[in-house]
Amino acid sequence: MKRRWLFAAALALGATNLLPLWLVVKQAFSPEKESFSWPPHFFPQEWTLVNLAAAAEVVPLGSGLLMSLGVAGATVLSSLLLALPAAFAAARRPPLDGPLDVAFVAARMLPTIAVAIPLAVIFVGAGLYNGPFGIGLWLAHTLLGLPFAFLVLRAAFRGVPRELEEAARLDGATSRQAFWRISLPLVRPSLATAAVLVFLVSWDEFAYAILLQVTNRSLPPLLYYLSAFGYPGLSSAVALLMLVPAVVIVLLLEPVLRSGVLAGSHR
Amino acid sequence: MISSRVAFWLVVPALVFLAIFLLYPTLVAVRLAFTDGASGVFPSLESFRVLAGDGLFHRALLGNLTLPLVAVTLELVAGLGLALLLSERLPARRLLRTAIILPFALPEIVFLTILRRVLEPHGYANGGFALAGLPGFDFLAPGSMSAFFSVAVVDAWRTTPVVFLILLGALAAIPGEIHEAARLDGARGWQRLRRITLPLLGPALVAALLLRGLDELRIFAAPLVLTGVEGVPVLSTYAYHQWADYDAIGPASAASLVLACLAVLASIPLIKRRIPA
Repeated sequence: MKRRWLFAAALALGATNLLPLWLVVKQAFSPEKESFSWPPHFFPQEWTLVNLAAAAEVVPLGSGLLMSLGVAGATVLSSLLLALPAAFAAARRPPLDGPLDVAFVAARMLPTIAVAIPLAVIFVGAGLYNGPFGIGLWLAHTLLGLPFAFLVLRAAFRGVPRELEEAARLDGATSRQAFWRISLPLVRPSLATAAVLVFLVSWDEFAYAILLQVTNRSLPPLLYYLSAFGYPGLSSAVALLMLVPAVVIVLLLEPVLRSGVLAGSHR
Repeated sequence: MISSRVAFWLVVPALVFLAIFLLYPTLVAVRLAFTDGASGVFPSLESFRVLAGDGLFHRALLGNLTLPLVAVTLELVAGLGLALLLSERLPARRLLRTAIILPFALPEIVFLTILRRVLEPHGYANGGFALAGLPGFDFLAPGSMSAFFSVAVVDAWRTTPVVFLILLGALAAIPGEIHEAARLDGARGWQRLRRITLPLLGPALVAALLLRGLDELRIFAAPLVLTGVEGVPVLSTYAYHQWADYDAIGPASAASLVLACLAVLASIPLIKRRIPA
């Protein structure tokens, strides 16, 4: 009996959580004028693909999409390349671990705005501010992705028994070979996890994007301005494009998010 | 074990990157904050004088202290409740779990722009009220308590899944035998929760509190998207406003420096926890 009530409560909460997603879908597939009717409709009166087509034409969607994809992809590469060696060193040389940990916590904790404003000033001088390829945004996003990649990879290297590397050394492998042939293949799943996580961080990021790409916009600021200027249907079409990869990634990452690695509860 | 020389070269790239793109900008921010924009004189307290005389800054500072408090409280209570609910043996658990983390799976800007459409005067919420024959309500009236709580609730709604997942993981790590033993000793449901579950969840609750607290301090998108720069001002939106709308680099840097100091203060417990005594 009690369990039935609990189930009903969980079901109601879950259904409430579907509401924002449903409204995005509804607006994306209903004509713009319907979004301004009063009282608003919760179900489309008429289905249409006009918004999706318009999004492709009216909005600088192509360049925004390319920038978001390019910056996120480049951020994955740079974050992993920088974090992988540091994570290995931290896992294998405990004296290094503490200072590195503090450096990465600092990187995670400083408010975005406090870094973004001086970065914008520096990028103006360096010609990277509001660039067409989003190079400045890529550097800023690497700053965000680095700590996440480090935490995931350090946990992974800690899970590789040191004895495996030592056994390889006894069999005549150099320490470099032991890393490439033994340790790295064993952390490959975590490498994939870190890559997907960093991609998501960059794909979703709003604050750096709106400060550093003022007119050459990636998708999040593009959506912000579209929505602020009152195009619910059009902006929902862009939102739909943004949310599909994000939702897939979060559902894939759910076990990692549950493991507590990112919360720092497993030291 | 790798040699210390090798280890040094392994960490150098990441540390150099952090020095150039984190440490150096922070130093630049300090210099900008203490430079008088009009005369270029350094050091000068002119920017801080501007902040001290600006009512919007006072509201932003107050908002930046109260909003995180309210939002984190909501997140911890809701996250704990959901974690306890979903650790019961319910049907369709995986599906329910997916539905519960869904708000967090949506990109922040997607969630916020649609929630603005829900809460604006002619939005879906008031539409629902009208259908039910209820009077409309101005959820986002600039400067109002209702706008403050709207921002807090919306942000908590989106981030509660983070707390939920941390606590769900911690709950799963509590051995079933402990509950069994307590039950055999006659402990009732409420007693088991208070005397066993909550104390064992302690470390995970603290981790969630610190993680979310630090994130909430730099809250930016939720107040900006829902209410603009003057509706529910916080330090991040204030600094953004000074920078983007007035091109006032000094006051913008000064306000973000105040926020950075708050974040450093708040992160002391986190860093202490991470350095073994």
